[in-house]
Amino acid sequence: MNPEDLKYTPEHEWLRIEGDAAVIGITDYAQEQLGDIVYVGLPAVGDTIDPGASIGELESTKSVSDLFAPVPGVVVERNESLEQNPEVVNSDPYGEGWLIKVTLSDPNAVDALLDGAAYRALISE
Amino acid sequence: MANADDDAQGGAAGTHQSPSPLHQRHLDLGAKLASFGGWIMPLEYAGGGVLKEHAAVRGRVGVFDVSHLGKVTVRGPGTAAYLNTCLSNDLDRIGPGRAQYTLCVDDASGGAVDDLIAYLRSPDEVFLIPNAANTTEVCRRLTSAAPDGIDVLDEHHDHAVLAVQGPSGDELLRAVGLPTGHDYMSFVQAEHAGAPVTVCRTGYTGERGYELVTPSAAATSLWDALMTAGSDFGVLACGLGARDTLRTEMGYPLHGQDISMEISPVEARLVWAVGWSKDSFWGKEVLTAQRTAKAGPLLRGLVASGRGIARPGMSVGLPGSRASVGHVTSGTFSPTRRQGIALALLDRSVHDGDEVSVGMRGRHEAFVVTKPPFVQTGVRT
Repeated sequence: MNPEDLKYTPEHEWLRIEGDAAVIGITDYAQEQLGDIVYVGLPAVGDTIDPGASIGELESTKSVSDLFAPVPGVVVERNESLEQNPEVVNSDPYGEGWLIKVTLSDPNAVDALLDGAAYRALISE
Repeated sequence: MANADDDAQGGAAGTHQSPSPLHQRHLDLGAKLASFGGWIMPLEYAGGGVLKEHAAVRGRVGVFDVSHLGKVTVRGPGTAAYLNTCLSNDLDRIGPGRAQYTLCVDDASGGAVDDLIAYLRSPDEVFLIPNAANTTEVCRRLTSAAPDGIDVLDEHHDHAVLAVQGPSGDELLRAVGLPTGHDYMSFVQAEHAGAPVTVCRTGYTGERGYELVTPSAAATSLWDALMTAGSDFGVLACGLGARDTLRTEMGYPLHGQDISMEISPVEARLVWAVGWSKDSFWGKEVLTAQRTAKAGPLLRGLVASGRGIARPGMSVGLPGSRASVGHVTSGTFSPTRRQGIALALLDRSVHDGDEVSVGMRGRHEAFVVTKPPFVQTGVRT
């Protein structure tokens, strides 16, 4: 279910590493757990993000969840289409439902992330 | 990403959980299951989800399994007269074949033990549908006060309850051979596949619809008939997640959140469901005093001005002030309006049309105090 070419976090986020940048989203497992997503709050372009800090939120019909910064970096792009169509995070979490793109301030931070197999093992526990 | 709050509708954790008579059907439909008052019930279905299921009920028809609801028969000479000395509403306002929203109030505190629907079968027999989690307590109170000859029978596991809700509900019921068209809050006795079905013009969604009470053993055949015939009408199986967004759009209170032992029927503005002129009923003294004092908080509706979605427990204040004027008791995203809606227990100084501020997760979101319902529907037509 989860693509092998991505990196993952125990908070059910994924990262696609593109050179010194990373595209960040939430996993299929996460969107399934949340249910219908009705609002996505994202950090602003230019914001510096620090690992572990809450940088946004995903609100579903039943609850709200924090979006945690998975790596240190600076936000360079955000998926503006989610303002009008937050449900895309449910329907295409690894594609059109991406959340933000950041430049990595510490490329080595990526090494601490989970690979596809490790994430799969985590969610099947 | 991590969940910041749990499901609002918790069951009694660690105790025995009853499956619905339709449990296998829910598994077959890929339902996400959750505990409601000690029952394992569908929250939403695979391929559906709260938004689609909600839209099906508002636009076409949805079928809910609400078999977790309590079912209690009270029987014996003078049953209706006896219940009229206990429950808040006045059964003399309705005749046999009619149902009534009523409350079981704690006599000492005026708190709401439960809110329930009473179906008047005859002066000597009344059928009650309390909330799942409160059924045992309602039965205990009614049993302990009952005179000789009146029996309170807890039939929680004997019957299934299916709710058929939405503008195409009448057509769907006719397609499976059940009677339709009777008045809002009335019920008729019928049969399906040889089993008795009570067809009630009641519901918790705000749409025109019916609730069907049938023996548990007959539940699967009735469910299958409805789902098969319903494909012509775009029916969806709907879970309790959509039931909650639907009832919140109507401003219907949920016991345990908007009305409880701590939030009285007067505070929840359910005075219309109280038979004030009756000689006695549980809580009459306390509720009358509350009604006269006009001092306590009142339950009101909130509509978000922006993107905020209020959740139960969040504090409500006035713009530019840190002082709290109350708290949110129910709050969700309205799929119909596509904005946040809520019910909140607010000081009497707050009125409809006022702007308030709901504190959420480190920021404040503006809401306007608004009289429910939040959407216009055809529930009574």
